[in-house]
Amino acid sequence: MAEEEDETGFEEDLDDGAGGADGSHGKRKRLFSKELRCMMYGFGDDQNPYTESVDILEDLVIEFVTEMTHKAMSIGRQGRVQVEDIVFLIRKDPRKFARVKDLLTMNEELKRARKAFDEANYGS
Amino acid sequence: MADPARIKTDSTSAISLTIKHLKKEDNEDMPVTSNADIEFKDPASQSLKHEHKQDGDEEDDDEGASGQSASKKLKVEPEKKKEKRQKVDEDEIQKMQVLVSSFSEEQLNRYEMYRRSAFPKAAIKRLIQSITGSSVSQNVVIAMSGISKVFAGEIVEEALDVCEKWGDTPPLQPKHMREAVRRLKSREQIPNTKHKQILFH
Repeated sequence: MAEEEDETGFEEDLDDGAGGADGSHGKRKRLFSKELRCMMYGFGDDQNPYTESVDILEDLVIEFVTEMTHKAMSIGRQGRVQVEDIVFLIRKDPRKFARVKDLLTMNEELKRARKAFDEANYGS
Repeated sequence: MADPARIKTDSTSAISLTIKHLKKEDNEDMPVTSNADIEFKDPASQSLKHEHKQDGDEEDDDEGASGQSASKKLKVEPEKKKEKRQKVDEDEIQKMQVLVSSFSEEQLNRYEMYRRSAFPKAAIKRLIQSITGSSVSQNVVIAMSGISKVFAGEIVEEALDVCEKWGDTPPLQPKHMREAVRRLKSREQIPNTKHKQILFH
C-alpha cells in the first residue's frame, strides 16, 4: 500500500477532500490552508502556491504532529504528552531543538514581563 | 537563495544565559532573534536542564538576572564565555538589522510572512488532544507548533532545491514536494514509525 504522504499517481487528478479517496486522510476538512499559504510564501515559494502543494504539505504536517504525539506518549510518562518528551525526541535535530528552546524561553520571559507589568500597574 | 530561515545553532550553548534584550514582537510566538539570551529558570523544565547540560558542571556566582534566587539554580558558565556569547549575539542582532534594512519591498513582504506565519494554536491543540485523549499543557502546543513550522520549512526548502535542480520555476508542484519528501526520508528527517524493520529473523 502506498505510504501516506507519497500520494502517487491517481491522487493528483482528484480534488482535495471533495469526494473520492485522497489516500491519506479521507474527507478531512483542511485545517491550515490559509496559514500554510503564508508560510510557504515566507519560506520561498510563490506568492500564490498551488492548492495541491498546500494540501500535500498540510497532510505532511498533520502526520508529523501525529507521529510526534504518538512517540511522546510512549516515552516518559505514558499516555501523556509533556514538553520534556518533545524536547527529548527532537534532541538530534539541531534546528528544531534550538527553535523549541528559544520559543520556550521567550514564552517564560514574556510571562514574567507581563506579570511584572501587571504588578506594577496594581501597585500604582 | 539567501536563507533567513536557517536558524543558527550554537552547539556549545548551555541553557544558562542572562537576560539581555527583550524585544517584544507583535506575535509573541515569534522571538525576534533565535539567540535570545535568557535564563532558563522554569522549575517545570528542570528535567530539560538535566538532559541538555552540555558543558562541564561549574558552580559559579549566579547571575540571577531578574533577582530570583530560586532554590533550583542553574549551573552557570564562567563569565568569559558568557560575555563572548553576548558579544556574538549583539553582532548577530546588528547584522540582522543591517540586512533587513537593505531588503527590497518584495523581500520585506516575504520576510514578514516568514516571521508572522504560524499554525493556529487552537487547531494544533485540538489535533494533539484528539490523539492523546487527554488535555495537554500550553507549552506542549507552543513547542509542537514551533517544530511543525520548522518541519514545513525544511520541506519547502528541499522542494525549492528540487525545483531548481529540475529546471522548473516556482510555484512548487506536487512532484517537487514528493521528491523533497523522498529525499528527507532517506536522511531520516521525516519520522516514520509505520514501517517496522525486522533486523534479524
